[in-house]
Amino acid sequence: MKLFKKKNELYLSDKQPLSSVGMVMLIISYVVLFAWSLAILWPLSDMIISAFNGRQEQYLMINTNFSFSLKHFDYLFNETLYFTWVKNTIFIAVVTAILTLIIVSFTGFAYSRYRFKGRKASLMAIMLIQTIPAFAGITAYFTMHSIISSIIPVFSRQMMLILIYAGGGIAGNTFILKGYIDSISTELDDAARIDGCSSMQVYRLIIMPIAKPMLAIIALWSFIGPFMDYLLPRVLLTSPESYTLAAGLFTLINDFRTLNQPAFAAGGLLTAVPIVALFIILQKQLVSGLSSGSVKG
Amino acid sequence: MGKYNEFLYDDIGNEYSRKHLYLQELARHQSTLKSVSASDKEKVIKSINVLTSNRKNHPYHVELEAFKKAERNFKVTLNAKLKLHMTSLDPSLDRKQRAFESELFKAKEKVNFYQSYTGLCYDAELEYEKGRLIIEQLPEIMLKYKNTVDELDQAKAHLEKIDPKKEEAFKSEYKAFKADQQKRYRDGVQKLKDKRAAKNISEKALKNGKIELKKKNKESLTLKSYESDKRATKELIGNKKYILSKGIKRDVNVMKSNISDVRRRMPMEVLKTKPFYAWLTAPLPGLGQLLNKQFFKAILFAIGSLFIYGIAIPYALGFGNYQGDGIAGLVTLASEGKKIDKSLIFMIEGIVAIFLVAFSIAIYLISYFDVLKVEKDIIKGIRPRNWFESLTKVESEGFPYLVSLPALIVTIFIVIVPITTAIMLSFTGMNPKNQSKFPWVGFDNYTLIATGSGLAGSVFWSILGWTLVWTLVATSMAILVGFMLAIIAHNDRIKGKTFFRTVFLLPWAVPAFITIMFFSIMFSPNGAITTILNDIFNVQLTVKTDPFYSRVVLILLQTWLGSSYVFLLSTGVLQAIPGDLYEAAQIDGATEWQKLRKITIPIVLFQTAPLLVGQYTFNFNNFSIIYLFNSGGPFNPSKYGNLAGSTDLLISYIYKLTMENQYQSIGAAITIVISLGLMLFAFIGFKNSKAFREERL
Repeated sequence: MKLFKKKNELYLSDKQPLSSVGMVMLIISYVVLFAWSLAILWPLSDMIISAFNGRQEQYLMINTNFSFSLKHFDYLFNETLYFTWVKNTIFIAVVTAILTLIIVSFTGFAYSRYRFKGRKASLMAIMLIQTIPAFAGITAYFTMHSIISSIIPVFSRQMMLILIYAGGGIAGNTFILKGYIDSISTELDDAARIDGCSSMQVYRLIIMPIAKPMLAIIALWSFIGPFMDYLLPRVLLTSPESYTLAAGLFTLINDFRTLNQPAFAAGGLLTAVPIVALFIILQKQLVSGLSSGSVKG
Repeated sequence: MGKYNEFLYDDIGNEYSRKHLYLQELARHQSTLKSVSASDKEKVIKSINVLTSNRKNHPYHVELEAFKKAERNFKVTLNAKLKLHMTSLDPSLDRKQRAFESELFKAKEKVNFYQSYTGLCYDAELEYEKGRLIIEQLPEIMLKYKNTVDELDQAKAHLEKIDPKKEEAFKSEYKAFKADQQKRYRDGVQKLKDKRAAKNISEKALKNGKIELKKKNKESLTLKSYESDKRATKELIGNKKYILSKGIKRDVNVMKSNISDVRRRMPMEVLKTKPFYAWLTAPLPGLGQLLNKQFFKAILFAIGSLFIYGIAIPYALGFGNYQGDGIAGLVTLASEGKKIDKSLIFMIEGIVAIFLVAFSIAIYLISYFDVLKVEKDIIKGIRPRNWFESLTKVESEGFPYLVSLPALIVTIFIVIVPITTAIMLSFTGMNPKNQSKFPWVGFDNYTLIATGSGLAGSVFWSILGWTLVWTLVATSMAILVGFMLAIIAHNDRIKGKTFFRTVFLLPWAVPAFITIMFFSIMFSPNGAITTILNDIFNVQLTVKTDPFYSRVVLILLQTWLGSSYVFLLSTGVLQAIPGDLYEAAQIDGATEWQKLRKITIPIVLFQTAPLLVGQYTFNFNNFSIIYLFNSGGPFNPSKYGNLAGSTDLLISYIYKLTMENQYQSIGAAITIVISLGLMLFAFIGFKNSKAFREERL
């Protein structure tokens, strides 16, 4: 029995014993981490509480008491066009993601596997043009939309928005995907070609299945983009029926006719929850997608 | 007259002697002309003249003419013979087989005919060799095709004759087999489980063992299912059908590429010495290719011609425009147009017209140089590519262009045209007074910005100053905080890492517009934070109306938002640093601080630098935080005029100029100025990036 007790007293960790200075540092570390967590969680939890607080009226106040109620959600669903905005946003996001994937999967493959004329120059050019802020062309987008819609009447402003999102993402996503495809051995292509695959088949049967993880990331980023963006929908979309979530929710806090801050909190909460869940589940992939693009760039 | 080369060449530079004796003689004379002395020159020239004036009577020429005549006759009779042959064929043959038969027959006849002329000219030799190749390879394909068709028919017949009783019998047999397999699988799993219970194998081994058993089970079932006659026959039919559609096609392609190999090695001879189709047909892409007998290319370029003459040129001249006047509209900007005409539309349509014309010029040039090259090659002796060769070439080399085309079109119309419009707009006078019609004003807008004068330009420099301060401070703070948190949370002794990492992810994951708007509410006069601050410090602090506090709060808010992203990036890099580095440092007696300074920081910085640079440009253009927090306010007309607030960045200032106050042209000018700056910034970073320097782009 005595033997066992001694064994318990032995120091068995790989790490060095904690000195008193180390102990203090550790405590400070915890304090910092908890303080920052609080700084993050407090505003967010305040938003959640406000969304459920039945005592809140048009303006959010801090001193009102809490009583659980869903009336702000009720207001959001019945008095505003929340579901229309959700539908619009999802429509724009899905089409943008699909369009981006189709275009970028081809260009990424071409830029990675072929040495064609103008390749380097065009890459350089698109990288530089990309730095120009998106609404350099905003004056033109309006007029271009009216020109195109006079030819093709079904061409709506939302479609213009989709084209802008997809077109703006081509350069950066091509770069990321190109970097990923570069890391796939060309011996696979050669083997496929020897077996009689055409370029299209190599793309479809060899490269795309292997590049799926990166394609998923690109699709995800293009999908999230329209949820996050406020500027372009605000400028391009003119009627509340065509708004996306960002533009729609903003009307709840800046327009006196529709002002309702707790409803904004409720809407923000509903929008944020799925996206946050997505981010937490996929954080590793999302971050790796970011950094792999940068290392190659 | 043109110079002839004594030899012919193919496209990899092999040398062939001429078969055209007249041209050979001429070429020899011409080459001696260079080496002989001046006195002999006369003689040589004379003999050349004799030769050329007597071309029609040259023995080789006579022979060649005879050959050509015979060839024409041969072709006529060949057609007749072919018809006869085709009628004599077995009528049960299908279309493909008939085509093969006709080709084979033609090849046989051609070999017979051209055999005697192979020494005369390369064209005859080519036809002869081609025919021989077909005779050698086509029968094999035909046999394969016939066999496959027969087998297919047999299999189909067999499928109909299958005894349903037998199938029933097999079904029950299969059922029994399946039950047996299922039992075996369960037994196997039980055995594994027993082993696991006895702790002989690990949990993972149990899991893998189960998967393995399941796979085996499935495989044996699939195998068994093919013992069914019906299933096996169906599979066979599918297989044969595939061979008929794809396999035969591939074999034919192999034969065709063998033929093209022969073509590549067989030069050609022409009397022409100077390419003239190229410039003659330059105005109509496609025609030159047609003259060169390259029909595939001709079709492609004809589509180009259609685009040029059907769309580009009419559009540039003002036909089919929405409102504008093609390129001319770019000059006039609708100044003399109708009342409803808008200068902006004229400008954009002019720009679109310019791009269409640029496309057209590109097509003209490509076509011209293509015809020129083919013609030069022909003169050298290289045969132009035939349909099959052009197709394969376009498939392989044209592929990247073809698949990038959608990206190019989208980029031009969504990115390039609007940016060009912005550039042009910055040279015009589009302002609230001149909305529908505006003139060109040259560099006036830029002068206003540079001198800081005028309604819109006067605040440019003070806004630029705040934008730079904002960019540097907000981004650096975010990087610093994010990086420090990453290092602290990376410590081995910290418990609950998952919790902290998830919490620190939140500011990045929650859409920024939501958090910014919510903070904006909390900082408003009766908002939560304002109330708390006032209670604690007992002051009447109104953040949103005080320029200084507004700016500070904005920077803190961006730190809150941006640090999350930096934290995630740095954590990713930190986790990837191998532990040996730290152990080695520990053994050498490094302190924690030294380890941090010499190992951690350099590695993290090196890996994340490009993204951190991106953060600076992002913040430079961070429109949403400024606009959503306080619309750029508080406003201070005495200092910032009526257009901008004291927290406005250049980007939100541009937004206000263009979208809210209709000073589009000066807004465009500012956009161009900052874009140039950012581009320079990006260019330097890009040039220095590893990928660019290593030519791995």
